[in-house]
Amino acid sequence: MEPIITLKNLHKRYGTKQVLKGIDIDIYPGQVIGYIGPNGAGKSTTVKILCGLITDYEGQVYVKGMNLRDHLVEIKSCIGYVPELAELYDVLTPLEFLSMMAELYNMKKEVASDRINKMLKAFGLETNINDRMDTFSKGMRQKILITSGLLHNPDIIILDEPLSGLDANSVIIVKELLSKLAREGKTIFYCSHMMDVVEKVSDRIILIDGGTIVADGSFKELKEKQGDTSLEKIFANLTAKDSLSAAADELINAFN
Amino acid sequence: MNIINSILLRFALSPSFLYKRMGVDTRHLKVILSAKLMMDDRRPNTFQQIQRKKNNKPVSYATIGTMILSAVMGLVFLASFLAGKTYETKFTIYFSFYVTVLASILIADFTNVLIDIRDNYIILPKPVTDKTFVVSRLLHIFIHVCKIVIPMILPAVVFLMINKNILSILPFLFVTLMATLFTVFLINSIYIIILKITTPARFQAIITYIQIIFAIVFYAGYQLVPRLIGSSFLSKFELSERKGIIFLPTYWFAGAWQQLYGWNNSFRLWICVILTIAVPAFSIWVVIKYFAPSFNRKLSMISGSDLDISINKKAAHKKTSSTYSSLLSKLFTGQGVERASFLFTWKMMIRTRNFKMKVYPAIGYMIVIMVLMLLQNKTFSFNDIASQTKAGITSILMIIYFSNLLLFAALGQITMYEKYKAAWIFFTTPVNNPGKIISGSVKAAIAQFFFPLAFITVVSLLIFCGPTIIPNVLFGISNELLITAIAAYLGISKLPFSSPQQNNTGSVLRVFVAMILAFLIAAVHFMLYRMTIVVSILAILSLTATWLVLDTVSRLSWKKINSSYVDE
Repeated sequence: MEPIITLKNLHKRYGTKQVLKGIDIDIYPGQVIGYIGPNGAGKSTTVKILCGLITDYEGQVYVKGMNLRDHLVEIKSCIGYVPELAELYDVLTPLEFLSMMAELYNMKKEVASDRINKMLKAFGLETNINDRMDTFSKGMRQKILITSGLLHNPDIIILDEPLSGLDANSVIIVKELLSKLAREGKTIFYCSHMMDVVEKVSDRIILIDGGTIVADGSFKELKEKQGDTSLEKIFANLTAKDSLSAAADELINAFN
Repeated sequence: MNIINSILLRFALSPSFLYKRMGVDTRHLKVILSAKLMMDDRRPNTFQQIQRKKNNKPVSYATIGTMILSAVMGLVFLASFLAGKTYETKFTIYFSFYVTVLASILIADFTNVLIDIRDNYIILPKPVTDKTFVVSRLLHIFIHVCKIVIPMILPAVVFLMINKNILSILPFLFVTLMATLFTVFLINSIYIIILKITTPARFQAIITYIQIIFAIVFYAGYQLVPRLIGSSFLSKFELSERKGIIFLPTYWFAGAWQQLYGWNNSFRLWICVILTIAVPAFSIWVVIKYFAPSFNRKLSMISGSDLDISINKKAAHKKTSSTYSSLLSKLFTGQGVERASFLFTWKMMIRTRNFKMKVYPAIGYMIVIMVLMLLQNKTFSFNDIASQTKAGITSILMIIYFSNLLLFAALGQITMYEKYKAAWIFFTTPVNNPGKIISGSVKAAIAQFFFPLAFITVVSLLIFCGPTIIPNVLFGISNELLITAIAAYLGISKLPFSSPQQNNTGSVLRVFVAMILAFLIAAVHFMLYRMTIVVSILAILSLTATWLVLDTVSRLSWKKINSSYVDE
């Protein structure tokens, strides 16, 4: 089987700071990838390159066999991006915003408005469809963002902390949604800090630290390799420079 | 914290025994005030915000800037001493300036600086008593006002010392103090009234409009005052002889000064003194007693916090009349991305506070400029226009060719937005022709800011001059559109609402080029004015050219556009 996404020797530098130091990944269709790593590791940068937000990078990226540099627009139509609590043009209403997104995805008007109504209803936002989003809570905004990323039924879905701000019920809805999408054969690339969710949802976990990949495999494989029981502990082992409980000790000692 | 703040802080904190007796914790008071003053120093003031210029350097000497500005304003107020025969008149005008300017400065500062809702979750959860908190607020207001007022009255004090004597200063200081209190509580009452009438959500919008009106009034004044100064009418002007002047608060202050200095002992002047003392005192009492509690509560809901979602929901449910804009969008744009961009830009322009604050004053500026220019033409008369004489033609062309000033103001702002990162949607979606997004937004700006004006111009000129003017008017308007299209092609290379606010040297250049172009085209138009057939043909050509240029804009590819996602 051909990989649907290939990252080859991906490098990215901001000024003098090298954020990505050679990322090589092959992602196969239908996989659910949990992309984890500490803050500043390069997760968001990788994701932004894939989505077309960052266009100057070194290395090669192939999506569905097409080189990202040459077929940027075509590739964008097969990718759905759900950013984390991103800025929105919140003087608009969900209907206005999502209709515009639908236009940008070249969707037919009837298909778009039908889908928008259905998705907002599923998220419980049908009464707010004509309210300006600047009155929305964090969770409501995140639901709009999720809707905007899935609206055009993309084959590849890239999510950056998609559960941020959601209440427990909404988290369940989204987790179920991701499983169902995976079962339909969609490829899902999921960045998160929430280890318990990543553990349960992903087929394959890729751990990035300091711009390079330090672990790659299913949860079972990582457990065998690292000999630990939870992803949280595996993560800590591979990324924490100093002992974390020592840091907690220092905090307590500040009171003595 | 700079020296001025420290001095004022020390002064404000000096009656510490009094505060302690009231039950205030002076240690907390000092630390809260120090923090607030430090923050004030790092925040650009109202004037610096209203001005078009904006540099990205962090402001840390805002206090000094404010004081210098106030001093300059105070200097300008001295112009009032040139008018009128008696000091009563001069001071009435002086205090009118004073109260108006102080009010306009405070009106914005109140919400931003003086009543900071962040106190609700930073200070209040800590063990700070209510009394300490209220006193800290009052003293903060006091210090803030001092920083504005003291430099402002300095020129007048110096003037009085030179032209009168030292004795005149004391009554002046007293009366100014009363006038300041009056203004502070005037603003307070305006706030309270607005809050009682509308929801907190609309509050910001209303304050914005008031600021815009002030900006226009100042601009008009700035243009008018130098012209009036020379006129002899002004020096013979005498207010105290007019009936009903007693109803003007600024006259009370002037009269009170006259009484306390000159000791004329006239009934009317004594009334002034009484009013000067009583009205501010009474308003303070009323505000504290009746309005303060509900005022604070409502004020905390203003910044769009979701403390009371039901109030906000009502505001959000406003019916957006979109039929007009969707009609226009169907008229001017093709299906797809261009139309979506048209509607997007249209809505953003109407709903974004910052955009309106920067662009709407241009309406006022335009009116002021046009009126002044028409008045300057000594031989101006409507007959000239109606019969389209040479002078009339000049006026007509001036009106037509200046009508796109507002549009240019809008185009200059259209690429900027405080939440510019929201533009990620343009970069993650499969947009083949970003040029369409730009052309859609330019068309929206033209539809919103130029067409209503053009319509009014056409109709009024038709009424004045009859149908013979049609070819020329059409020619003029299509030239205006052409100039706009060319300017857009040359200058706007960013997507709408996608960049941070910045001083756009590119846009200044663009406006400059556009003005030169407009002038040249107007000159050519002037020469060709009477050749109806030529003008008609050229009008059609000009319209076609406009369409072509806009079409070229819509074909711009990603490579040609100077736009990439701004990632910090």
